[in-house]
Amino acid sequence: MKKLLQPDELARDARFSRVDMAERFNDKRTVNRDVDGEPGISSRNQRRLSPDTPGASDAARSLMHGIFVGEIQALEGAGRTCWDFEVGAGEDKVPFELKLDMARQCWDESRHCEISIKLSEWMGTELGEFGESAFLFQAACNADPVLRLTGVNRALEGLAIDVFNTMREFGKVAGDPVLEFCEDWMLADEVTHVKMGSDWLRRLTEDNPERRERALEFQRVVDKLFSLGGARGENDDSPIKLARRFRELAGFTNEEVDEIAGLAKEAAEELAARQAS
Amino acid sequence: MAKVTVDPTEFHYVKFDADTIAQLVGEVADLVGLPADALININIDESTPLGRTVLTSTDPITLSIEGGAFENAKAPRELSERSVRDVASRLLFRVSDRLSGRFDDAPPEGEVPLPHNVAWDVHSVGRSARAGINVSKPRRLYHFRNRHGFNDVADAAFETLWNADQLSWAELDALVTEVAAAKTPA
Repeated sequence: MKKLLQPDELARDARFSRVDMAERFNDKRTVNRDVDGEPGISSRNQRRLSPDTPGASDAARSLMHGIFVGEIQALEGAGRTCWDFEVGAGEDKVPFELKLDMARQCWDESRHCEISIKLSEWMGTELGEFGESAFLFQAACNADPVLRLTGVNRALEGLAIDVFNTMREFGKVAGDPVLEFCEDWMLADEVTHVKMGSDWLRRLTEDNPERRERALEFQRVVDKLFSLGGARGENDDSPIKLARRFRELAGFTNEEVDEIAGLAKEAAEELAARQAS
Repeated sequence: MAKVTVDPTEFHYVKFDADTIAQLVGEVADLVGLPADALININIDESTPLGRTVLTSTDPITLSIEGGAFENAKAPRELSERSVRDVASRLLFRVSDRLSGRFDDAPPEGEVPLPHNVAWDVHSVGRSARAGINVSKPRRLYHFRNRHGFNDVADAAFETLWNADQLSWAELDALVTEVAAAKTPA
């Protein structure tokens, strides 16, 4: 079987449509409207998800579809990590126990896919109704297993913690018990996945500070790229709120969470500047 | 067929075609049953990916559309003919209601409370489905439940709204009041 599968080689049926991330990032429409006197900030990203807003249910459906395809890619990514690396001590090898963790994650992600399919049905969403971007799997293509786990498990599964927590709150406020409980169950698993990333980062780079710094830099890049143009933040009105407590449970230090909050702010400013130019 | 004008006639942020939109809206107007000599203006704000849609006027009929409402969710910036039909039929059934006299008691557009707006949309989209337009009932049900509650009373009200052909404002208001009572804890 082929090793290091590329994102465009992922198998999807005719219902799914791939969206180019570059096109999405370069969409000038997202910064064309002033919000609360701040020009150049995406209006789509500046609205807190609340059942009181007219488009909330469609926004929730779109977000949950994004989570669903993310679950598929997380399954594919963890599965590839089991296969792509041989057991051993070099930088291109992994301990057998890491493979066991990835196998457990595959089990979790499979369950999340099934939950997400049922949840989509509940929310009135057709599978493939929204475009799929392959950014999670792209992060899972790194040739260094430590960078792969840092980018996927700590950065993107960390983002999943924030999104699941936000959606769980949305379900609670809307009185939607199905959404609330589905999010709660998946959130618990995500905390474990992020903790795996944190633990393996520390164990595998214990005697190699340069490799650890490379991994953390990769995480910073991924975190900043997927701060969703400033949608993720710590304010009460942030569309996706940083789930500080859950991140602590997942092995993040306070300083690391502060850094992610700072990166989100930088990402918003850079997006505004880039698209205004 | 109704005469439809689309503003702008050329798009720069999105890959929409004004003639296609005009043709689709004209066909939908016929399905809704608007007079063949009706004038319909479609004003599109292509600078936003958001999807707000507003019936600005019934004389002349004017729909204000944020570009995201006509966009293909699978392909950013591309036109979705299904979305055009969905949005246009929902708003044109509302025009038809307002012109019928049955909704003379309704507040003006912009002042219709959100729960009533959501209920009215269900009434419109149900008729769109029966007119042969490809709409999503589960999507509307979820939207309705988010606004009116996840309970049997709300679901029954949804079915009434969906299946009715000619409700009045008073009947719609009564249904909204009934589901609000069921949602509020005793």
